[in-house]
Amino acid sequence: MNGAPINPAALRDSQYGVDPKYVVKRGADLDGMTSVSLKELIPDMPSVIYPNGRGVSVIKEETERALASVDFSKIRPGHKVNILASHHGFTFLGGEPYAEMLRTIRDVVITETEAKEVRLRAGLGMRFRETEEYIKAHGLDEYFEGKALGIAPIDAGIPIETKLGTLYGLRKAYDADVIIHAHNSDVREVHFHRQVDRAIKPFGMSYARCETRSTYHMNMGPRGANFVARAIFESDFVQDKYGFSIFMIMSPQGVVNVDADNDLYALNDRTTVGGMKYYGKIISLFGEIDECIAILDFPCPVPYVFSAGVIYANMINANIDLFDLDNPLPPYTWYTETFYDDHGQPLIPEIPPVNPAIKMVVHNYAWTGYPAVFFAEKTPTIVVGEEQAKHFDRDPMNLNYMKHALLARNLDTAMAFAYETAGTDKVIIFDGATGGLNVSASLAEHLLKVAPSVCDHVENTLIPRWLDQRNMDISLMRAIP
Amino acid sequence: MKMVNVHASVNEELCKGCKTCEMVCPVYAIRVSKQEKEFDVDIDPKRCVGCWNCEQRCPEHAIEMKPCEPYVLSTDVTQFDYKEIEALCRKTRFHPKQLVCYCTGTRAEELAAAILSGARTPDALVLATGVGAGCGIECNQPILRFLESAGLSFERKKQSFQWYGRTITVWEVPSSLREEFPVFRFGEDQELFDRIINAPVEP
Ligand code: SF4
Ligand code: SF4
Repeated sequence: MNGAPINPAALRDSQYGVDPKYVVKRGADLDGMTSVSLKELIPDMPSVIYPNGRGVSVIKEETERALASVDFSKIRPGHKVNILASHHGFTFLGGEPYAEMLRTIRDVVITETEAKEVRLRAGLGMRFRETEEYIKAHGLDEYFEGKALGIAPIDAGIPIETKLGTLYGLRKAYDADVIIHAHNSDVREVHFHRQVDRAIKPFGMSYARCETRSTYHMNMGPRGANFVARAIFESDFVQDKYGFSIFMIMSPQGVVNVDADNDLYALNDRTTVGGMKYYGKIISLFGEIDECIAILDFPCPVPYVFSAGVIYANMINANIDLFDLDNPLPPYTWYTETFYDDHGQPLIPEIPPVNPAIKMVVHNYAWTGYPAVFFAEKTPTIVVGEEQAKHFDRDPMNLNYMKHALLARNLDTAMAFAYETAGTDKVIIFDGATGGLNVSASLAEHLLKVAPSVCDHVENTLIPRWLDQRNMDISLMRAIP
Repeated sequence: MKMVNVHASVNEELCKGCKTCEMVCPVYAIRVSKQEKEFDVDIDPKRCVGCWNCEQRCPEHAIEMKPCEPYVLSTDVTQFDYKEIEALCRKTRFHPKQLVCYCTGTRAEELAAAILSGARTPDALVLATGVGAGCGIECNQPILRFLESAGLSFERKKQSFQWYGRTITVWEVPSSLREEFPVFRFGEDQELFDRIINAPVEP
């Protein structure tokens, strides 16, 4: 049954978070915390190759295996090749598996082709030096012989003619003869991509200028937005350079395998159904939590902190089935955020509220560099430590965050207040624990009780509906490990 | 509305003169020039809106953000007949109370008021409201859409990485794409927007 808490993910020294020395206690160290393994909750969780006790050498082997079926003929002698990566990959399991996949892609391309130069171009979200930090932390600059770069949405752009008219990519992403799309399959931002063209999305985001990202988040609507990436990917400009795609296939437990294909749409089909199969149950299970205090305790901005292998944004949206395309709006997405007036009232009545089961948030450690005021506005929030509050007050994206949050001197004080005020002893910790989740005993008991019926409902009712909405056949599901 | 509490400051000894800072500044507050063998990076504190773009992109880490006496960038919406504000917002296909910038909390009505106050270019809108002085990403299209619907055109500074151009909205998606790709639900999303835009303004 329930075990001792799992070791939380290590904090990171980053300009986007407070110095880890200010985090004197982790959520998992609180009295009364325990853990539940994912296997106990969801017995058919796929087995993983990492973490597995063998280290990242297994990622190297798996990447080589996946690349063995790829056609490299587009890369010709003297060509410059850009491996396009994204920051999200580095947030899994300490970042080293993704870094190892990138290193191996480079090695194989050099062995298999006569490319003149193989570079790494790592896209990012809103923290313009984030991938620079990962490149340094994982020694990728030396590995790529000084040719590893973080690329940001305000860097020099390049117009791309598409079926949606002119959109804009990042010049440095495309300044090569051939590009390789090196990504991951984690469902994570399902509130944005709705598991439609999830594998294509970086072409409209990580590799794109702010004009394109704003088109996605402001101009096109919550489901229509996902066509932006497809339009760019299918443009003559991108097709002329596109070589192949390679993805680290994730489940909530870790890395399942590495998948590579010249045909991105074939890979997209596999990651679409794989995402439903691996993540549908745990996300739906979060929707069955009736009340809780959520502790944020992971080196990422508020919506991206992890528990049970899924991000906090999945929890704040868990009162709505986001895989179901008949639901127009997630409770949290950037469109929804714009649809509240200055009194905090929805502009139209059908705006779904954020997950009412989250009674209080204790922000023990999470980063700036992502506009998070909506989270503090919509859920009572206590921030731990004055340094962290000051850090948010300086961030141009979060100048109003602390206007909606309380400040507690330490984690114990914050929790005492939260227990008293929220009136629940159910606690879930978003701390990146691997293989399970750290929770209070009361929540562990609740999750174990409801998990079997949730799994059954997802398997037999929801997944067929999700597939049907995307014109996908159930046979695709059977081909997934 | 945005409170500015930091300004950019350069350490010229570290500068290599690449001009990246000049290119990424949304309000053109930076001028880089060569003075004999050294580079002069001139940052106008009266224009700097504390967005951190230059600090975040300088390859030499030569720029630092330093606290300044806080002040607010905002345009008073109440100085205009609200009908005018509403008309410009709805023409741009925004509800007046709709948020156009997540970071600064700027709403459509304030962009409309800034234009009615005389803002004619994207950088003028940033200076008048603080919009675009947060992440500098997501409000890009609302800014350009507002200028266009007010009938304002501007010449993009070629030597900059700013304001490349307005892009498509869901209303403009061709019918052929709507039919070919029903999974993207363009029509339903357009209807959702229309319900938002036409919702009444609560006092
Ligand atoms: S970005 Fe940095 S190095 Fe380049 S001109 Fe500006 S201050 Fe100098
Ligand atoms: S902080 Fe922003 S507004 Fe100020 S000088 Fe730098 S880029 Fe320009």
